[in-house]
Amino acid sequence: MSRALTGFLGAVLEAWQELRVHRTRVLLSLIGVAVAVCSLTTVVALGAIVQQANQELSERSSGRPATLYVSAYATDGSTIDAEALDRAWDETVARYGIDYASRVVSSGQSIPFVTGVVQVGTQAVDQPYGEMHRVRISEGHWFSTADEQALAPALVVNSVFWERLGRPDLATHPTVTLGGEKGATAVVVGVTPAATYETEPSMFMLASQLATVQAAQPAADPSADPYSGFGGGQTQYEMWIPPELAEPLLAAVQRDIQAALGDGAQVDVYRQDYAQYGDDPFLVTKLVVGGIAVLVLLLGALGLVNIALVTVKQRVREIGIRRSFGATAGRVFFAVMMESVVATVAAGVVGVMAAVLLVQSPIVHDVVGQGMVTDFPPFPVEAALLGLAAATGVGALAGLLPALVAVRVKVIDAIRY
Amino acid sequence: MSLLRLEDVTRTVLPPDQPALTILNGVDLTVEGGDRISIVGRSGSGKSTLLNLMGLLDLPTSGLLAFDDRPVKSYSGAGRDRLRGAQIGFIFQQFNLLAGRTALENVAMPLLYASGRQFWRRRQLAADMLEQVGLGHRVDSLPDRLSGGEQQRVAIARSLVRGPRLILADEPTGALDLDTGQSVMELIDEVATRTGAALVVITHDPSIAARSRTHYRLDRGILTPAEALAETPAESLVDAAANKIADAAAGAHGERSDR
Repeated sequence: MSRALTGFLGAVLEAWQELRVHRTRVLLSLIGVAVAVCSLTTVVALGAIVQQANQELSERSSGRPATLYVSAYATDGSTIDAEALDRAWDETVARYGIDYASRVVSSGQSIPFVTGVVQVGTQAVDQPYGEMHRVRISEGHWFSTADEQALAPALVVNSVFWERLGRPDLATHPTVTLGGEKGATAVVVGVTPAATYETEPSMFMLASQLATVQAAQPAADPSADPYSGFGGGQTQYEMWIPPELAEPLLAAVQRDIQAALGDGAQVDVYRQDYAQYGDDPFLVTKLVVGGIAVLVLLLGALGLVNIALVTVKQRVREIGIRRSFGATAGRVFFAVMMESVVATVAAGVVGVMAAVLLVQSPIVHDVVGQGMVTDFPPFPVEAALLGLAAATGVGALAGLLPALVAVRVKVIDAIRY
Repeated sequence: MSLLRLEDVTRTVLPPDQPALTILNGVDLTVEGGDRISIVGRSGSGKSTLLNLMGLLDLPTSGLLAFDDRPVKSYSGAGRDRLRGAQIGFIFQQFNLLAGRTALENVAMPLLYASGRQFWRRRQLAADMLEQVGLGHRVDSLPDRLSGGEQQRVAIARSLVRGPRLILADEPTGALDLDTGQSVMELIDEVATRTGAALVVITHDPSIAARSRTHYRLDRGILTPAEALAETPAESLVDAAANKIADAAAGAHGERSDR
């Protein structure tokens, strides 16, 4: 045990001395490894962050796994009975005890800004929608139960909308008028950050409040303006359920609503969330990214093997001297190997640190997130570990050939000539 | 019990596409603790091969090579290496210090292959040994900052730091001038006497060989006792002197001369 410990420590010390003596050469040869490890770690870490970004984006648009969408239309081409569909939906949601269910009605509301009236894209939803779609709030809050019961409709607007209002403090309950000058007065309760590509105002409001507003303003024929009506073909229904229940619930919901609406209607229930296609929807991305990283690392390793082989041949005399003073062949093999491993691990640490700084920089966050990622994951530990493991592996691999050359040294010949 | 024993040792090699070549033939040699032995031989006489065998770096083709009366063949490769590290110290003609390492690191190097107290206290032991060879003030000097004599003193300290029972000196003064060579030999003698180690010197130089109590001559692979150096034929002495000059020239190349 004592001999094993001193043997190991001795080999590490020898390796360290060797690196110290040849620091310039070592440093130059390791730049490649450090860069390769930095690339590998960065690519893997960015992959994880991009995956998170993609996931968040797709959850915002298509819901979190598993989200079931329900739509229905009349088979004879007429407008479906919106009230019957609404009722069937409510009954189904209650029957299966689903906490996260929301109607989604896309409509447009005329909002008078100081620069003029603008038709603002509006999504009327139920309160759980915020959680179901990870709606991010930068000011104020998402719809609460109190908002639902308030007489004035509540609005959650995007930051473009908010800026057009002059960025009012939400504590002052800023109001806007829906449906022109004589419309209903609504209160802005929350602001969502806009993605960098969003330039137009948009807003959320509660579906129940939209219905009330529209009931008070029976202005247009819903069929004349597809965005002005509530219910009917424009209403989508969605529910967020545990993924393992997706399949049986999909069938059950389809069956129940179909039964409630009768033969004259066709009910479709389907998933649109990113997880619907299998266990790992980002597998291809991961494989491509990982493949590139491995290639980069192999190039670094090749450079290292090259330099290590050349230098070990210059060290034949030194190896002979060490052998004559009691270094076993195994010890020489291990020490030469350790030189490579100690060096690449040091380079790996530098590479990983550089990758952390790079990936966590605000610039990279902006580029990757496009302002839309809520939960930027911390630097993935697995990426750092992978980088270090790769550095160690490359060191061992690059040290193998020189170590084999080193143990074949003929001691006296090495010393005398 | 003898320290090192060679009985009827033969060493042959098989050069590619050539018949077997006998390098050593029927060599008998016994080294006891505290012995002073010199082996004189011309280039190509088999000195290196004999050194290989005595240093446990090689095994005989036939015959017995025993350390402490135990046949060396009975040791594993690693066992032989460990035995060599613990029991045998080498002093080389070209000093063979490790470049870029201080005198202290060079002397501590063999202790990296030791275990226990020797491993953990290696720096202290190395510093003490440097003090003993009169280089206590040069512990942090790199080899290229030391004179030839100082370098050989560092090499002597390195060979003795593990307290070997056998010191193999291969042309120890070959790269030094006459005066420095004599003082280095005095140091080796003194340290060997103090530690009770046996000293085997392989040399061309009759004056260095003359310091030993037992003399051998190696000629074409055959080792024969030489009664006294005075009986060395004049022809051999001339050869030895010529070899010495050639060695000194070779030693001066790439090495600093003694300051």
